Amino acid sequence: MKRRNILWIAVLMMVGALGGTLVWSAPSRGEDLGDWASLKEAARGSEVRFYGWGGDPRVNAWLDSFVAPRMKERYGVTLRRVGMNIQEILNKLLSEKAGGKDTGIIDVVWINGENFYAARKGDLLFGPFTERLPHFEAFLDVSGEEVAFDFGFPTEGFESPWGRGQLVLFRDSSRLPREIRGYEDFLKAAQEHPGEITYPAPPDFTGSAFVRTLICHMVGRENIASLSSDKELLREAVAPAMEFLRDLKPYLWMEGASYPATSSQLRNMYEDGELLLGMSYTPFLVPGKIASGEFPESTESFVFERGTVGNTHFLAIPFNAPNKAGAMLFINAMLDPEMQASKYDPSRWGDLPVLDLSRLSPGERVLFDNLSPGKGALPLEEILQGRIPELPALFIPLLDELWREAVLQ
Amino acid sequence: MRREPLRAFLLLIPALLVLGGLFLGSFAPALLQSLGHFPAVGMRGYTLGYYRELFGDPEFLGSLLFSLRISCISSALAVVLGTFLGFLLFSKRKKEGVQRFLALLPIAVPHTVAALLVLQLLSRTGMLGRFLFSLGILASPAEMGSFVFDPSGVGVIVAYLWKGLPFAAVVVAVVLRTLDPRLCEAALVLGASRIQVFWHVLLPLLFPTLSSTFVLLFGFSFGAFEVPFLLGPTFPQALPVAAYRAYLNPDMASRPYAMVYVVVITAMVLGLVFLYGFLARRGERFS
Repeated sequence: MKRRNILWIAVLMMVGALGGTLVWSAPSRGEDLGDWASLKEAARGSEVRFYGWGGDPRVNAWLDSFVAPRMKERYGVTLRRVGMNIQEILNKLLSEKAGGKDTGIIDVVWINGENFYAARKGDLLFGPFTERLPHFEAFLDVSGEEVAFDFGFPTEGFESPWGRGQLVLFRDSSRLPREIRGYEDFLKAAQEHPGEITYPAPPDFTGSAFVRTLICHMVGRENIASLSSDKELLREAVAPAMEFLRDLKPYLWMEGASYPATSSQLRNMYEDGELLLGMSYTPFLVPGKIASGEFPESTESFVFERGTVGNTHFLAIPFNAPNKAGAMLFINAMLDPEMQASKYDPSRWGDLPVLDLSRLSPGERVLFDNLSPGKGALPLEEILQGRIPELPALFIPLLDELWREAVLQ
Repeated sequence: MRREPLRAFLLLIPALLVLGGLFLGSFAPALLQSLGHFPAVGMRGYTLGYYRELFGDPEFLGSLLFSLRISCISSALAVVLGTFLGFLLFSKRKKEGVQRFLALLPIAVPHTVAALLVLQLLSRTGMLGRFLFSLGILASPAEMGSFVFDPSGVGVIVAYLWKGLPFAAVVVAVVLRTLDPRLCEAALVLGASRIQVFWHVLLPLLFPTLSSTFVLLFGFSFGAFEVPFLLGPTFPQALPVAAYRAYLNPDMASRPYAMVYVVVITAMVLGLVFLYGFLARRGERFS
């Protein structure tokens, strides 16, 4: 009797294991929904799963404590945030696509640049959907360079802008008094403070943007952007910048033998006083960090006189999103002036708004005008002055490889 | 009687489904992609070109050597030092409680935490540098230099050693306890010194255990990601870290390179599994 029981258990476990591999698929919502009102109705009571970079506690806190309660209150939608790197998200979607999984688990992804390009090429996104969002037409300059294009690649309604980032550097002015106006000053500062300055290793997003900024300064953006995405052509074109970075190397942290792997690591080392200089793609990072006591009071933000690279970041919907109606509702809500102003608030996230401010009513304008950058940050105009649009998406991984080959090895 | 093998097989099926399914389900696509077959992005056909290319690439070879070196050094040190610690644990039974606790603690602590401890201790602004500075041995804490993120991989080795050494010690202590004490007594009675007993009686008996422990530690550190990711240099990167970087390249056409890394790591670890099985069987014969 006992033996037979064990056998039965084994058989049941087998059946269970097999059953577990068959995916129960639910019908997806949103694709065939008519107008906005019925879409809103369909999304009520649902859950929207937002996947995106989760590396900044302030961004996470803003989503959890400001956005989520409003989504619940206004639309009856529960926002679930999952922190995951975009490359991993795309790999997940790609294997779901290959496996024929039509109902996934991700509703909204945070994306831009080369990853958007890869996602479009792999046919991993749902759309075009932006024309259905009421706020899209109402508040955006829809044909503008930063809405219609993403790293030079047309967005074609497959992603909706969410915010704008730009590379901003910061230094501890009490220990690094030199003003850094361009790459020449950067080298001088490194020579004066050997081992106390560095940048994150590409393909880290921030480190990669720093290298591209130097390339644009030394070679001229137009001379690069017009090339075709051929590695050897690029190698030749960016050679002066790579040579500069090699000259810089002996004065860097650990003599350039190693670089921080991520911008978070760079920031930690700055907090510990191990480095005198840091950088971030979040322009208003510094005031919040000073307020929380993580950065020294003497931290000052700066950009190069001839600008730094900046780009727009977007929200998109995966091809197999289970709740497309909820996803669109969420993405539309993100374009709401109140949301954008709160996101821009340097005491929260400090992300630059994407709205065309001239389209706002005076009441909505005030939300933005009332915000001041805060201690240690630059005024908005100063950041945007000389803003360099990102290089074409396809160049990014190639330039990262060139950096490894030319500078690191 | 005749039904015994069948029943054993049936009972094994659930476990095999999970283990085999997970392994084959992920390894088979990786192998195909490493050969350039990736229909999801329109790449079809098979080639060994990606293997050839990577095996001629200094970055790949640098990663391979780096991984082999850190695994070799950390596992060898762990086994040698662990043997002595194991003897201490075995022979001084009176204070067993405290010692066992101290020895077992690192085994229970996850690798990520171990890596962060090493970072706290050995980084340029770490505690060791500050301590030596406060004693006046160093002129400034930064003079310590950095033992983490260094191209020689000292930080990675220290983290693996901290985890591996107590593991080896516990294994040694357990095996010593199962040995027949009369063997040592006989040797002592016949006039052998304590050191001779150690070298000629205990070590040969322990050897199979030590070699399989080495293989186990080696295999783990060779295939693991988090410690070299957190403590390793930007160049050369350990194989799993380099594989991850290659995997994150958004250009899908370069996916096969990432999968070559994965296949090489897997092949190496599988080889070690067989070596472990072989050594373990030999160990059984010994005792």
